[in-house]
Amino acid sequence: MRPILLAGHERALTQIKYNHDGDLIFSTAKDQHICAWFAHNGERLGTYHGHQGAIWTVDVDPTSTILASGSADNTIRLWDIKTGKCLKTWEFPTAVKRVEFNEDATKLLGVTEKRMGHLGSIVVLDVKVDVDAEQNDEKVLTIVCDESKATVAGWSYLSKYIIAGHEDGSISQYDAKTGDLLYNFSIHELNQPIVDIQWSKDRTYFITASKDKTAKLVSAKDLEVLKTYVADTPLNSATITNKKDFVILGGGQAAMDVTRTSARQGKFEARFYHKIFEDEIGRVRGHFGPLNTVAADPTGKGYASGGEDGYVRVHQFDKGYYDFLYEVERERQNKQA
Amino acid sequence: MAAQAKHDWADDEDLEDTTAVVTELPPPQKISNKDGSTTIIEYRYNDDGKKVKTTRRIRFITHREVVNPRVAERKTWAKFGQSAKDGAGPAGDTTTVGENIIFKPSANWRKDAKDEVNDPNAQAMKDKLKDKKVKCRICNGEHFTARCPFKDTMAPIGEVAGGSDAGGDDLGAAPGPAATGGAGAGKKGSYVPPALRGGPGGGAGERMGGSKYGERDDLATLRVTNVSEMAEENELRDMFERFGRVTRVFLAKDRDTGLAKGFAFISFADRTDAVKACAKMDGYGFKHLILRVEFAKKAQ
Repeated sequence: MRPILLAGHERALTQIKYNHDGDLIFSTAKDQHICAWFAHNGERLGTYHGHQGAIWTVDVDPTSTILASGSADNTIRLWDIKTGKCLKTWEFPTAVKRVEFNEDATKLLGVTEKRMGHLGSIVVLDVKVDVDAEQNDEKVLTIVCDESKATVAGWSYLSKYIIAGHEDGSISQYDAKTGDLLYNFSIHELNQPIVDIQWSKDRTYFITASKDKTAKLVSAKDLEVLKTYVADTPLNSATITNKKDFVILGGGQAAMDVTRTSARQGKFEARFYHKIFEDEIGRVRGHFGPLNTVAADPTGKGYASGGEDGYVRVHQFDKGYYDFLYEVERERQNKQA
Repeated sequence: MAAQAKHDWADDEDLEDTTAVVTELPPPQKISNKDGSTTIIEYRYNDDGKKVKTTRRIRFITHREVVNPRVAERKTWAKFGQSAKDGAGPAGDTTTVGENIIFKPSANWRKDAKDEVNDPNAQAMKDKLKDKKVKCRICNGEHFTARCPFKDTMAPIGEVAGGSDAGGDDLGAAPGPAATGGAGAGKKGSYVPPALRGGPGGGAGERMGGSKYGERDDLATLRVTNVSEMAEENELRDMFERFGRVTRVFLAKDRDTGLAKGFAFISFADRTDAVKACAKMDGYGFKHLILRVEFAKKAQ
């Protein structure tokens, strides 16, 4: 496969998101704009300007109408995807590290940083998926994380729970309506932060990526660890592919250690694991720095990775990828046929 | 989708040379062929002012693909932000195509990759050394020469034979291995030093007539240690000349600083002179240091 290199950012990538139909890619970096790209040819649709600091996170609603972003300038902004106009700005006391729409995009959650005497929190906002509508100023819900700050969070199926990953390697399940803490389990090594959570298509389970060099597949309902994927490097991101039962992990040497290692030793590769068998089945190299974020195309045809090197690489899988089957899978297929 | 119908490449372009006189160009022709393709014949002048006739056969193939209407609609959106001025299609400054990456998932990926890494280096070396055994050059035992228990009492096999021929007598080596030495040197496939090639007789003859190296090393060479850093070769020569003719003085010097390293070799023409010098100069004070003089051991 020939990856498409997108050079729209001058600084390290922070998050990549595909829209629901898999035709648009949104990328954020530590420079101060968001880029929108067409996934099929890498053409840039446009850039969104307005943030005054590094942008940590982005999310797109299922209809690809509005875009939410969270930044180190202590704001969450809402954008009109088509025109690049900023529709709404919410101010917070600290930086916003993660935003996510729920399944029908009626609500938006944001994870705020613990800093300057403020505790880390998860806030929930009401949004309307309408470019012309007046957005509500008020927070619907605020969950304060007084024990260990939340680093990432997301909505489970039916917007029933809010799942958060914490700095101490634990995950929590909150009731999405009341904000009550239902469960908190340590699933990763103590004090190794969970740095990414990405959902399966139906949001019944999710994958966590941790600095403890593992990624885990966890069910949303009871926070049971279903699968564990062990890597040999700290992870920054993990995603679940559609169509094929794979997961993609991205990571590499911490950015501050990178100058002391060569590209080969740095392990700057996207790692593919089989979702069920937990085996590593291949790697894709290409980045010059650690992978900060990976995102799988919802149509299952490709994936994109963003690195510390400032590049987004968009990959379209070729035939060998789709043909790959385990022996047992092939046998089952033959039996059914 | 437009595709050129398959036909002889030579028919593609008919170049007709005409005179440089500019004349009226014939109008372009469009002919519909029976097989559904269209032939277009056009005329133009090229840079040299020559008339060029271009014949193109085109077949239109309609390829239907169902596209998500929302996706199709988004493709028509106008660009904005930093891309506002970009034309249609990917802009070269933001979008490039990377080198081809071969990605084939494999169940035993880890094993495959490891084999690949090892193959060129380790595997080849292993094959090469598979039927090699460690062999001592002194006693043919299965240990390194440096570890040989007979290291001090015996010289390496091949050299003993040559040395005793050349020196005639007075060599500390045991006479026993000399016989096996010839056999060892003659062994097929192993390296034989030039001095020993062509059997012991020939080697000795060459040695006697030719190079002086064979004699010098073991017969009348003294090793002088604890030499001052400031020592010079001619100073040493002056000191040792008193006992007889000195054929060679070698003072080891540091390559970078040029200072003496602290040891030297003095070769005498006559061994009796060397014996005398060894006895007299051992313990001699030279530039605040006590010299230690002994006979040089044979180089191994």
